[in-house]
Amino acid sequence: MEKKYIIKKITNAFSTVLEHDDFELKEETTAEDVSGWESITHMMIIAEIENTFGIRFKLMDLMQMNTIGDLIQSVIKEVDTLSKNV
Amino acid sequence: MTFVEKLRNSILQYPNNIAFHIDETQYTYAQLGIAVSSIRLVLKEQDVGQNPLVGLVTNDDFYTYASIIALWFEGKGYVPINTNAPVERNREVLVLAETTHVLDSSETSIYTDSHSVINTTKHHTSALHLDLNNSDANTLAYIIFTSGTTGVPKGVPISFANLQAFVNAIAVDPDFELVPSDRCLQMFEMTFDFSVVSYLLPLLSGASIYTIPKSAIKYFYIVKLIQEHKITVLSLVPSIIHYLQPYFQEIQAPQIRYCSFGGSALYEDIVSKWSKCIPNATIFNYYGPTECTIYSSCYKFDSQIKNKTYNGILSIGKPLHGIEFVILDQNGNESPVGELGELYIAGHQQTLEYWKREDVNQTSFMNIEGVRYYKTGDLCYVDEEGFFYYSGREDFQVKIRGYRIELSEIEFYIKQHAALNCVAIDIVNELGNTEIGMVVETKDLDVKPLITHLKENLPEYKIPTQIIQLKEFPYTINGKIDRRTIRTHFETK
Repeated sequence: MEKKYIIKKITNAFSTVLEHDDFELKEETTAEDVSGWESITHMMIIAEIENTFGIRFKLMDLMQMNTIGDLIQSVIKEVDTLSKNV
Repeated sequence: MTFVEKLRNSILQYPNNIAFHIDETQYTYAQLGIAVSSIRLVLKEQDVGQNPLVGLVTNDDFYTYASIIALWFEGKGYVPINTNAPVERNREVLVLAETTHVLDSSETSIYTDSHSVINTTKHHTSALHLDLNNSDANTLAYIIFTSGTTGVPKGVPISFANLQAFVNAIAVDPDFELVPSDRCLQMFEMTFDFSVVSYLLPLLSGASIYTIPKSAIKYFYIVKLIQEHKITVLSLVPSIIHYLQPYFQEIQAPQIRYCSFGGSALYEDIVSKWSKCIPNATIFNYYGPTECTIYSSCYKFDSQIKNKTYNGILSIGKPLHGIEFVILDQNGNESPVGELGELYIAGHQQTLEYWKREDVNQTSFMNIEGVRYYKTGDLCYVDEEGFFYYSGREDFQVKIRGYRIELSEIEFYIKQHAALNCVAIDIVNELGNTEIGMVVETKDLDVKPLITHLKENLPEYKIPTQIIQLKEFPYTINGKIDRRTIRTHFETK
C-alpha cells in the first residue's frame, strides 16, 4: 500500500473526527501541530483509522506512536498482517 | 509526626531515591530538597510573609511540585491554576483568593501585570533549608476553585489539619501501605484534588512519582509507564479503563500492588475485567467530595466474591477512620436502612467553610446534634452491614408525571443491553413537561432492540422519549462525564 494513499485516508479520518481540515499531515507531524488533536480525540481518530482500513492496532504500537510517520508504519504493518492471513 | 515533618524526613532519609520521574527525566529527593530550599529563599526575600495563600501555575514539572513543598514548609497554602484554563478565569481565581504572589516555572509568565511572579526554576542555593515554620492547624494547605452554578468560581479551602486528618485516615488502613520502592502514577491536573493524594502519599514514603506530560496521549502513556517503568501503584478515574477496555487482553501487569479509583461511578463489570490485567493488585473504590479532603469512604473490590453493587455500580464502602456518614430524607429525618436519601458527611477532613461565600455556607452545612455536617448533594443508601451505595446526584433524581425516577437505574439497563457509555438526562419538552432523554456513546446503534429491552425491564414512564447518539462523550477536566455539555445537545435539537 502506498504511503501517499495512506496519508490521504488518514487525513480524511482526522478531518472527520476533528471537524476541520486546517492541517497538513507529514511524516514528522505530531499532536502539537494539529489543533484539537489531544487524548480523547486521539482515541477517536485511532478508531476511525481502524475502521477505514479494517485493521486493529496493537497496544504496543499505539504506545510508541508519536508522529504521523509512526502511524503510517503501523497501518502498513497491520495491512500486511491482514493480507498474509487472507 | 505531622505530614509536613514526614515530608522533611523523606528528603533527609532517602536522598538518593527517585522522587519524580517527569517526561523521562528523574529527580532525586536530594534534588527536591535543594529546589525546595531555593524557592523558600525567594519566598522569604520577596516578603510573601503576610499572605497565607500563593498562586501556583501548575506546569506539571519538577519545580511546580517543589513549590508546593516549599510553601508547606513555610506554612503557606497554594492556589493551583491550570495552564489550559482561560487566562481570565485564572486571574479571577487569583483575585478571589486575594493572592499577591504567583509561583511560576514558565519561561515567561503571563501574570506579571497583576502579581509579583517568582520564577521557581532559578537556582539560589545549594544548601538545605528544611526548618519548618510553625503554623496554626487551621492555616490553609491549598484551595481548589470549582465552577460554581452561578458562574463565580467557588473556593474550597483545605487546612493543614484537614490534610493531616486525611493522611491519618489512610495510614490506619492495614491494606494500603506504600514502601520506598513503589513507583506511583500521578495523572491528575493539580486543580483536581486527586493530584494531592497521588503526589503526597508517595512522598511521605520515599517512593517515586511518575507523571504524564501534558502533550502526551494520556491513555497510552499510562500503559507505557506501566509496562516500561513497572509502575506499582495506580490512582485512576473510571474513564481511563473505559478507554483502555479494547486493549485489556494486551495488558498484563502483575507488579501492580494497588489500584485506586474515584471521581465517578465505578461499574462492577468493567472493573472485574480490569482486575484480570492487574491480578495481584488490591483495588479500591474511593468516594469523597473535595469539601471533605479527597476521600471520605472506601470499598475494597474482591474478584473472588460477589461484590456489593447497586444498579451495577460498585459500593462506595464504609466511611474512613474519623468520618461519619448520615443519610437524611427530604424532611431531614434519618433514612432507614435500604432507603435512598441525601448523604451528609462530618469529621476533621471537612473544610471549615467555602472561601468567603456566606451565601453558599448557609445552605451547604448543617448542624445535627451539635455536629457540623456537609451536605453532599449525593443520593445514597446504606445496607444492614453498613456499606454505602451511591445512586447519583440528588438532582439526578427527577419526577416525571408524579413518579420519582432515578436516572442511574435507566442507565443501568441501557448498559446491560449495549455495554455502552450512556447518560440518562431529564429534559423539559416544549409543553414544559419533564421527559427522559437518553444519550449513548456510539455512532450506529440500532435503537429499537434497546428500547424493547428497556420496556421489558422498566415501567413505561421510565422509558426515554428522546435519543441522541454521540460519537464521543465530553469529559470534564476531572475525568467525569460532562453532563452539562451533553444536556445542550437536547437544547439545540
